[in-house]
Amino acid sequence: MSYLVCVLLFGLMVGSVGVASNPSPYFAAMGLVMVSGVGCGVLICFGGSFLPLVFFLIYLGGMMVVFAFSAALSAEPYPYGWGNRSVKMYVAAYVLGVGCAWKVLLGKWSGFWGGILDESGELLVLRGDMMGVAAMHDVGGWMLVLGGLGLLLTLFVVLELVRGVSRGGLRTV
Amino acid sequence: MNPYLLIVLLTSLGLGTALTLSSTHWLLAWLGLEVGTLAILPLMAQRHHPRATEAATKYFIVQATAAATLLFAAFNNAWLQGHSDIQHMSHPLFTSMITLALLLKLGLAPMHTWMPQVIQGVSLNTGLIVSTWQKIAPFILLLQIKQIHPPLLTIIGLASILIGGWGGLNQTQLRKILAYSSIAHLGWILLILQHSTALATYALLIYIFMTSATFITLKKCKATTINMLTTTWTKAPTITLVAPLMLLSLGGLPPLSGFAPKWFILQELTQLNFIPHASIAAMAALLSLSYYLRLSYSITLSLSPNNLPECLQWRVNYPISTPLSSALPAALALTLFLLPLTPSALTLII
Repeated sequence: MSYLVCVLLFGLMVGSVGVASNPSPYFAAMGLVMVSGVGCGVLICFGGSFLPLVFFLIYLGGMMVVFAFSAALSAEPYPYGWGNRSVKMYVAAYVLGVGCAWKVLLGKWSGFWGGILDESGELLVLRGDMMGVAAMHDVGGWMLVLGGLGLLLTLFVVLELVRGVSRGGLRTV
Repeated sequence: MNPYLLIVLLTSLGLGTALTLSSTHWLLAWLGLEVGTLAILPLMAQRHHPRATEAATKYFIVQATAAATLLFAAFNNAWLQGHSDIQHMSHPLFTSMITLALLLKLGLAPMHTWMPQVIQGVSLNTGLIVSTWQKIAPFILLLQIKQIHPPLLTIIGLASILIGGWGGLNQTQLRKILAYSSIAHLGWILLILQHSTALATYALLIYIFMTSATFITLKKCKATTINMLTTTWTKAPTITLVAPLMLLSLGGLPPLSGFAPKWFILQELTQLNFIPHASIAAMAALLSLSYYLRLSYSITLSLSPNNLPECLQWRVNYPISTPLSSALPAALALTLFLLPLTPSALTLII
């Protein structure tokens, strides 16, 4: 089981490097899909089942789809993949960074704290991740409202920044 | 800009700062900072010319980096400490990281390079908002963090005063001069932050008044370079009279308000036996004073060549009224006459 977690975390690193190395957004989105899928796998290995479900539905099924549509609106003829020279330099730099972190932290990391998701030792009906979401809506209700307000503001800001047919960011709207 | 959108954006600017000021949890503080950053972006890119777009992009990237670092350090500290209280942070590494993130947001050396470019790229009114309102929220967060590594604040403060002075010396664009002036003033504020939060708040308050008066004056004169300042006497003779005093207040000369913060900061530093800090700060203030004097020379103390029809603009365009005009008398009064009222002003803040 821990081997599976290691493989999934390795996939997380690969996907993160693929996103952070600055290719064209289409390829970066694929990296994000990989990262989220594999991250959800890690969560499932630790017993949380609700959060990966929400993640797949809302993040991949909602936000990533919208992102893919808007990236298609601003398509370019020669996108940078991971074979491109500048992207490869970034990949090399990030892999070097991960290697250094591995060397520094190998054996010194004090282990996971799995208290929320699994390692209380008992079999519970109310899992940690579901109770966390419930608490966020209950005790943290006003923070959710403020977060929603911030996101609504982001929508207005982005719409204002990209409008204007010939001088905006998106040439078709 | 669409007036509904303008109202939404200005309200969100106020909301962002209010959220940060009223928060005790780092998540809410971060939320307020991000709302403030987002709300000002369309205001910056309003004119849609490439320089404004570039300024908005740079501002966003810098502020987002700072906010991400802030959030990272805050959550790491919460993991180690058990709670996300702003006022009870204990881990030294993450306290320093949060401090650096907030100083990047404020535009202090050595993280200052975005400030001149951003303020140059936006209009004078938006530059006013970036220089004054957007400084309040990170400053209040800095006030609440205890046990910041003292050499960090001292070195960055002194470096900011020096860079603010030297950087502004070769500039002819007024917005860049005001950006470097902002860097220098925030350096003074940072220098005293660890010793006396009341003096830091007072210095910030006076700085906000002085900078507001300067930006509104420049807007009224429609001047963005030093050359454009030379025709101020034709447009608004009263401003020509008062502007040197306002600039010398920025430079920190008595008997104007700008002298009070510098005076008390130097006094506090001297009492605490930080003589080298006080000396370097006082001497570096002279660098800033030299470019303020250059501006006063262009406005009042010299008459540039001009033709006759242009000399009587004040007759034709009287009064020049911009949306912020009504705030100018108040800002100028606060910039010039607050020194005798310093004792009562300080009791309001202490």
